[in-house]
Amino acid sequence: MPTVRNVVKKNFFRDSVQLLHLSEEAKKLPGVIDAAVVMGTELNKELLEKQGLLTREGREAGENDMIIAVKAEDSADIEGIISKIEEMLTAPTAAETYYYSIESAIEHLPGANLALVSVPGQYAKEVVKPFLERGIHVHLFSDHVPLEDEIELKKFAAERGLLVMGPEAGTSIINGVAVAFANVVNRGPIGIVAAAGTGLQEVSVLISRAGSGITHGIGVGGRDVKSAVGGIMTLLSMRAFEADPDTQVITIVSKPPSPDVQDKIINFIANEGKKKYVTCFIGGKDYEIPPTAKGRLIQTRTLHAAALEAVRMVSEDLYKEAVKKVFLPPEEVVKIAEAEASKLSEGQKYLRGLFTGGTLTYESLVIFQELLGDVWSNTPLNKDYQLPDPWKSRENSVVDLGEEEFTAGRAHPMIDPTIRVQRIVEEAKDPEVAVLMLDMVIGYGSHPDPAGAHIDAIRKAKEIAKEGGRHLVVLAHVLGTDEDPQNAAEQERKLREAGVIVLPTNALMALTAAIIVTGRTDEALVKSFYEKFLVGRR
Amino acid sequence: MNNVGKILELFKSEVKIVNVGLEYFYKELRKQGVQAVHVVWQPRPKLEKDLEEILDKIL
Repeated sequence: MPTVRNVVKKNFFRDSVQLLHLSEEAKKLPGVIDAAVVMGTELNKELLEKQGLLTREGREAGENDMIIAVKAEDSADIEGIISKIEEMLTAPTAAETYYYSIESAIEHLPGANLALVSVPGQYAKEVVKPFLERGIHVHLFSDHVPLEDEIELKKFAAERGLLVMGPEAGTSIINGVAVAFANVVNRGPIGIVAAAGTGLQEVSVLISRAGSGITHGIGVGGRDVKSAVGGIMTLLSMRAFEADPDTQVITIVSKPPSPDVQDKIINFIANEGKKKYVTCFIGGKDYEIPPTAKGRLIQTRTLHAAALEAVRMVSEDLYKEAVKKVFLPPEEVVKIAEAEASKLSEGQKYLRGLFTGGTLTYESLVIFQELLGDVWSNTPLNKDYQLPDPWKSRENSVVDLGEEEFTAGRAHPMIDPTIRVQRIVEEAKDPEVAVLMLDMVIGYGSHPDPAGAHIDAIRKAKEIAKEGGRHLVVLAHVLGTDEDPQNAAEQERKLREAGVIVLPTNALMALTAAIIVTGRTDEALVKSFYEKFLVGRR
Repeated sequence: MNNVGKILELFKSEVKIVNVGLEYFYKELRKQGVQAVHVVWQPRPKLEKDLEEILDKIL
């Protein structure tokens, strides 16, 4: 007789990725039907409930407590299974180079020049400070870092000529090393400063796919370009790239900065900058290019355009070739959209975007605002379109699954596809849904095989639609390169085999989705979109 | 603020990383062959309020 048992370990902490792996191992134990080892956050308890894995004991756990939840075939085995999991939990990890204090770690890595910090935000300052005091740059991945701590750390670092990349910096690429979530991209003459994590990933990947490459990619964290922080790290990074002999073109990527910070950036380019610049303030307003920057500053609206224009500044030939071969021309997009739109049934009229990348979500929302008007989201551009329940889409909806409500005490959806996989199937049951959009972010940090992990759900979703007499369009964009451990070409092949249409950029995925659901597949409209969103302004 | 010497030095050097927090990132760095060490970090256990006050007085 199957039995469910929860054991709560009070004040017992392991990070979300360790627990994800432990849960996977626990499921493989003999006699186990299902198992999960999680921190007792409300979200995790809700998910355990849905899985039929929550008992009264588990329900009472707090967010600092760990829940071991097991469903076993036979109640007689359950004690043994739980002790096995407890053993796995306390087993020493590979003891090679693990330290219990920052001081001893630094001592054992002579020449350490970068710290990657991902502790809970309220502890970030006390962890980061000792590195800065020793002249070590920091990539701060943590979220929920108090704003005053960020300002203090950045001022302290800037006085010493050190980088604090973050907080909430998902990505940086220094000297070809992928830090946190980042891709294996070509080295080349373009430097990137980004206050947008997946924005940095998309731009560096597209530059690489277009045949050029980057010197370094510096993630500064979204709040750096807001008034309170004042662009401290953005400007410091720009100065560094100005002084770096290998960097010829500097690309700046962010959601709209605060006006005063945007002015500082543009003034720096105009008055102190000597190099070529591309700005990509996604969703921002056009600005006037100062006379002293004319000819060496291009403004763009999408990550797609930012990458292309940066490449164009390096080589007009590379640009022309990339436009044709890597990025789809308008007539190709129209062809794809027409073919898919013709398979839709009456009543299928909405798109559903299920994203893991925050900047990719945002870029899609900006494009949809132009082509469809406001769409529902858990991170909407217009507050009136806030999804009342982020777990349930309505009409046209775009959901960022990397947001707090989906990640409290859990690994990010780029690592753990569980929530998206369930959501794909849910969306397919809605007869009004025409198009699903999925970003597949690969590279270091991401799941070892995201396409593979989603395939069953995609096939099931298409099957559900088919049983209802409908055709479900599934669009995907694989953000990555063939040099990434997951291999972009291989990921794209798997998706295509499951009937997914793969687009080369996030912006093109959004455009294609929008013209399929509106049925406006005229070439003039698509061409005007290209002019506005996929080409820069000088 | 204008001194970027240390950043240029980072740009030119082999990147050596001290990872604090998610062990997973350390493993991802090692997969790339990056020289890295990992600091096992845990939040300080929450003490009973009384005990904390006593310790504050002593230390």
